[in-house]
Amino acid sequence: MIARQRTLHHDWPIHTVLGVLAVLTFFPFVFLLVSSFRSTVAFTHTFWGLPTEPELANYRDAWRVISPYLLNSFIVSGISTLGVLGIASISSFIFARFRFPGREFLFMAILALLMIPSILTLIPAFLLIKELNLINTYWALILPYIAGGQVFAIFILRSFIASLPEELFEAARLDGASNFQMFQHIALPLSKPMLITVAIMNVLATWNDYIWPLVTIPSQEFWTISLGIVSFGSQYGGLERWGPMFAGYVIASVPLIILFTLTMRYFIAGLTSGAIKA
Amino acid sequence: MSNAIASSGPTATAGRSGLWTRILRYRASYLWLVPTFLMLFIFNYYPAGSALYHSLFQWNGANVKIFVGLSNFAEMWNDRLWWESFRNLIVLTLALVLINLTFPLGAAAMIFHLWNLRMAYLYRVLLVVPMVVPGLVILMIWKFIYSPNIGLLNQTLSLIGLDALQRPWLGDFQLALYAIIFVGFPWVAGIGTLIYLAGFQAIPSELLDSAVIDGASTRQRFLHVEMPMVLSQIKLVVILTVINAFQNFTIILVMTGGGPGTKTLVPGLHLYRTAMAYNRMGYACAIGTVLFVLILLLTYLNHRYLRSSVEFTGA
Repeated sequence: MIARQRTLHHDWPIHTVLGVLAVLTFFPFVFLLVSSFRSTVAFTHTFWGLPTEPELANYRDAWRVISPYLLNSFIVSGISTLGVLGIASISSFIFARFRFPGREFLFMAILALLMIPSILTLIPAFLLIKELNLINTYWALILPYIAGGQVFAIFILRSFIASLPEELFEAARLDGASNFQMFQHIALPLSKPMLITVAIMNVLATWNDYIWPLVTIPSQEFWTISLGIVSFGSQYGGLERWGPMFAGYVIASVPLIILFTLTMRYFIAGLTSGAIKA
Repeated sequence: MSNAIASSGPTATAGRSGLWTRILRYRASYLWLVPTFLMLFIFNYYPAGSALYHSLFQWNGANVKIFVGLSNFAEMWNDRLWWESFRNLIVLTLALVLINLTFPLGAAAMIFHLWNLRMAYLYRVLLVVPMVVPGLVILMIWKFIYSPNIGLLNQTLSLIGLDALQRPWLGDFQLALYAIIFVGFPWVAGIGTLIYLAGFQAIPSELLDSAVIDGASTRQRFLHVEMPMVLSQIKLVVILTVINAFQNFTIILVMTGGGPGTKTLVPGLHLYRTAMAYNRMGYACAIGTVLFVLILLLTYLNHRYLRSSVEFTGA
């Protein structure tokens, strides 16, 4: 690391620029958090200051409206992520460790889907869901999320499982392990970091999706958090009830922030590999 | 089949057998792949095929389905909304590519140049935090920033005595599209920065060291050693930005609905309205097909063009 020592004796010019960028980036979020405790009456007078007494009623009001959407998102993101993990890990194991005829062709058939943009399939997929009578059900979201999510999951899981040393499987086979036992006791436990990364990517993608639920879930009862946020925002914003509106945004952000703090290491890996997907 | 792992059946003794025997021997493997392919056929291959096929039909998604050849595409050629949305898309895409080639790259380079690695890690974590906030919350915050009366931008202008500059930003015919581009300013907390940073960190340190020993200044090192080494990351960020701009219309739908007038309309939203509001599924499929072909073409060009420049710098 000579380079670092010789050319840069001090960091402060960089810190200045990065500091300004960080302040500009975080200011809206800090403003949001502070304003979520502002009472509706005091909102305009205390626009730039701290709220004199925090209005916790904002959070109570927002929770009442937001919580059903949160629950729906938990169900949809949870089940579809489990589905992706289940289906993709088995397929990845098969693709990685068995040399059956047509393996390359089938794998390429999956990879080719990475080139199909969602805007192309949006309308026919919607009509299909309608045909299957799944409009206004969790399945309208869960099934396509599993189908779409597994593509990239297989892409990264397969190469990981293929990189595991052959000796491990050889030894297990000599001990009389079945293929499923090798999957369950060798491939799965060793892939844990990759499985977590895949799970995070799927939670992020499904939690943030807006257009697909908008198209397939007309009934408010099954709305996910994304639809909830927009409707809630226009409703409360229209009434100029900014406090509860911001409190609602904070509540909607909490689950992902908790997930982030628990799995920070995998999160960055997931985000960068998630990027390669689109 | 000397590779013993290849045996999925109980008897792995068969040497050179026919294709059919081999397929039969691996029947368990195929069986395990059924769920994956069943899902893909129903929810991915079929809709994609259906979109391409129905772009040739006048179709309402139900009882009306008339083959019309290429006339949907001919109609697009004369569709004022299509061309306006396409013009907006070009402006948006160029602006976003330019943004992603500067701000995130600069931020990543600065973090990489930090001498204190603990601080570098801290900045990296800070960059990820805003990405964890749900995308729709961020869009709604920006909608609030731009809102005419109480919005953060107009209030700030008022605070520093520039009331004359206040605008209903998203409702302004001249400025709405630029207001959309400006969302996310200063654009450093995103995937782009993380990808660039990963690229910088993958540069072998011997390479950087030898540049220093040869007497390269920080600026020379950046331009002649680091930049060529992250070219593949630049290529990736460019194509991701383009693909995202071409198909993601959530931001437009949520913030302006394409307005005022058609000043922020984009092809994705045009497709969505054509299908959902006017039930013209065939025409929507034609728009989708054109977008698909354009994305393929741009991906190919990006791959071609930027690869040759890597070879050029390498020579």
